[in-house]
Amino acid sequence: MSATLIPEAASATGTIRRNFWRGVWRVMKRKPSRMAGVIICAGFAFMGVFGPMFYPGNLPGDANQITQPPSWAHWFGTDPQGRDVLALVITGSRYVLLCAAVTAVITVVVGTSLGLFSGFKRGRWDTVLMRITDMKLTIPGLPLLLVLATVWKFGSPIQMGLVLGLLGWGGVARAVRAQTLSLRERGFIEAARGLGLSTRHIVSRELLPSMAPYIAMNMLISVTGAVYAQVGLFFLGVLPYESDNWGVMLNLAVFQAGAMIQPNALGYLMAPLLAILLLTLGIVLVVDAMDEIFNPRLREE
Amino acid sequence: MKRLAAVVTLASLAAVTACSGGGTTNQSGSGGGGGLFTTIDVNRPGLEPSAPANPYAPKGNSFVGYNAMNIAWVNNHLTDPNQALPGIAASWEIAPDNSSITLKLQPNAKWSDGKSVTAEDVRFSIGVAYTQGSTAFSTTPGAAGAAAEVTVVDNTTVKITQDMANPSPKFARGVFDTIVLPAHVWSSVLPADFWDKLKASRGEGADAEKAREEILALGAKVLAFAPPKDVSAGPFVLERVNPGEALLVKNKNFFNAANVAPSQVKFLNYTGNEQIWNYLSSGKLDHSGFVAAPTDVMNRIKAAPGSEVIKGYSPVAVGLAFNQSKKPYDNVHVRRGLAYLINREEVTKVASPEGGTAATTTSGIHQKAAQAWIPETVGELEPYKTDVAKAEEEFKAAGLTKKDGKWTLADGKPWKMSMHAPSGFSDWLSAQENIKSQLIKAGVDAEVVTTTDYPLYLEELAAGKYDAGFWLMALGPAPYDIFQRLYGASNGWANVAGKVSHSPAGKSGNWMGGAEEIEVDGAKINPGELTGKLNSSTADEAKPIMAQLAKAANQDLPVIQLWDYVNNQFVNNSRFTGWPHDDEILRSGAKVLLSGVWIQTGMIKAKK
Repeated sequence: MSATLIPEAASATGTIRRNFWRGVWRVMKRKPSRMAGVIICAGFAFMGVFGPMFYPGNLPGDANQITQPPSWAHWFGTDPQGRDVLALVITGSRYVLLCAAVTAVITVVVGTSLGLFSGFKRGRWDTVLMRITDMKLTIPGLPLLLVLATVWKFGSPIQMGLVLGLLGWGGVARAVRAQTLSLRERGFIEAARGLGLSTRHIVSRELLPSMAPYIAMNMLISVTGAVYAQVGLFFLGVLPYESDNWGVMLNLAVFQAGAMIQPNALGYLMAPLLAILLLTLGIVLVVDAMDEIFNPRLREE
Repeated sequence: MKRLAAVVTLASLAAVTACSGGGTTNQSGSGGGGGLFTTIDVNRPGLEPSAPANPYAPKGNSFVGYNAMNIAWVNNHLTDPNQALPGIAASWEIAPDNSSITLKLQPNAKWSDGKSVTAEDVRFSIGVAYTQGSTAFSTTPGAAGAAAEVTVVDNTTVKITQDMANPSPKFARGVFDTIVLPAHVWSSVLPADFWDKLKASRGEGADAEKAREEILALGAKVLAFAPPKDVSAGPFVLERVNPGEALLVKNKNFFNAANVAPSQVKFLNYTGNEQIWNYLSSGKLDHSGFVAAPTDVMNRIKAAPGSEVIKGYSPVAVGLAFNQSKKPYDNVHVRRGLAYLINREEVTKVASPEGGTAATTTSGIHQKAAQAWIPETVGELEPYKTDVAKAEEEFKAAGLTKKDGKWTLADGKPWKMSMHAPSGFSDWLSAQENIKSQLIKAGVDAEVVTTTDYPLYLEELAAGKYDAGFWLMALGPAPYDIFQRLYGASNGWANVAGKVSHSPAGKSGNWMGGAEEIEVDGAKINPGELTGKLNSSTADEAKPIMAQLAKAANQDLPVIQLWDYVNNQFVNNSRFTGWPHDDEILRSGAKVLLSGVWIQTGMIKAKK
């Protein structure tokens, strides 16, 4: 359904583009929660890019302020080294978000290209690629990561994102292929073929734009998936503790500060959890807005 | 909340009743004359229900002090390694020159199946100990303090002589640490000609080598042996194990059964420290051995009804050890500079506020033992009080330069101090994180790197992969054991058959790579050879050597001693009383569960 509309937007003139942004603005205004979602996501992006710049490379600790409850000076209290928990959340966000971004990009690029190629070409290539995808889908992610963690330290977020991305493209590839299979039989594609347009043009100018919203949503959802996966791994303690990461904070809060037993460390436990919750909420709200922007049926309501 | 507590209490009562099989009278809770004693085995996380009641099996359901008995229970005396409480041996005589020990067994000692514990059982158990290799019972040629002969004198007397080719003052200690097994149950693990083989292994040449290999090969059989049911000479016998807990019931045949207060003992399963904190803060455990805990958690534990923390001496310290083959740690001024920079009080406060005391200085000895061994020397040692100016002087003397507030190596390259620790050791990690902060503040770039587990950590450390890492030291009470942590195999000195030889840095496990000779008080000494001497010297001979070695360690700093451990024992007075507060009783050997020893000696009483 969206297919009939998006190609126009993609190949639109300036006026149509202006109309598109006006539409976006209208959709955003309709529900203030969506605005909140965008602000949250922008806030996290800002935090990941610029946040750590506000702090010294090594956060100063105060041995007289070990594991303090929240206060005006330390909004979420302090950790067992006497460091401000909020500062830890902010400096830890870069690893988490960069890794999530890398994961999302890889998931989407690999998943979309394989899905498009298989669905459009069909035949032997489709069979081979889809069997590979099926095989990939049968690999259980978490156990594999646990094994990989014994040989790989995942010290850099890009490494981590790479692995998570390579583990996560299967679902996207399958879904994109299904969409492609359905779209390629539509009139506008047939017309493009009839006009003798090249495959490249058909795929990049006709098919891809129709699926853009779908892909964008997948991308955002894989961001949350990547956040859960890496934070989970760090929490379980299978990955090195020296990375600044929310998962490391959770691990230390429970296993070093005893947050489950003594209330002083609750701030240390809650802060990264709240950050994850807020990030997920922001993404869900933005996905909701995107759904309406790109889905004409919802928009017409 | 109240109702929930009541339901939980009822449920646990029901569980206890359900557990009391085998005709044992069950008086759970705080009832007089018995009751259930709840504890954990701090040495071994994770209960394995299918594991046998074999004290040698790595996951075996044998709890030393409860259903496994040692010949005697070794104390961690400040200076005497041979002090012990009676176990299966009621008394013993050690020859003045340490050449032999004669054990007199408990006259009434019986196995839980009613058979007597005999001198043959002890001899058999020593045979089994040989297959695993222990301090006293080792087939390694020339091992210090190894036994030569085991003789059954009569049904309750065993005499063990030491091989005087390479004697050790802690020979008796090695004998005491042996677990006594029922020969009539275990007989199949040793072949009939075992003792002949052992004799053959003492010689030289191919035959002896073959015999040694055969004895060690029996070790695997011992580890895998599963007795059909637990036969114990201890105060308890294993009843059943499930993934949540192991239940032991009182052994009515135990020689001191009349004075054993609990009728049952329950070992709870746990996987990590935070689970033990949970048990303790809810007052579930009657006793737990040492567990590291942050101050706030410790306060919660102390606040639990009946809870008490008994502090005792633990002959261990931890230090930051350097790989002196790596620059700039080869320069003593750098090590001294770091010693002046690191505030040990702060490190201890952050990392181990309850389980350690900041080291007064680096001497290589626990501060309590140092006071007992070399009280005059302790005052002469440089205390390395935190002093940034002195640290800068030392760094300058080492040729380091400070550029833009950061210290760089003599050749102008950046210097980043990399400290390593195994990832499960939360106190070590906290400490290193704190040291890192302190160093960065003073312009020394630093990082903390973790290794998956302790065995891998030790392996990589020994392979020379780290610049600096934490190292357990001052392992008392024997003087040799104390200093071989600094001037032993890890620093190049191998002690084989009483002969000390030195290998260069990076060879034969020498990862510390310290100098072979150190100047102390204007004279050159070889610390490794001096340490080797400690292995065969009397206490009086040892003192001057220890003073020299402490000075050497203090000046040369192969490690920076950070904190000396405190042996915290967690007990609860709600159901049982009589916990020992005497330091002497608290000091016990490795693997031994202290509460088991306290219970079997009749010290612990059920609360009336």
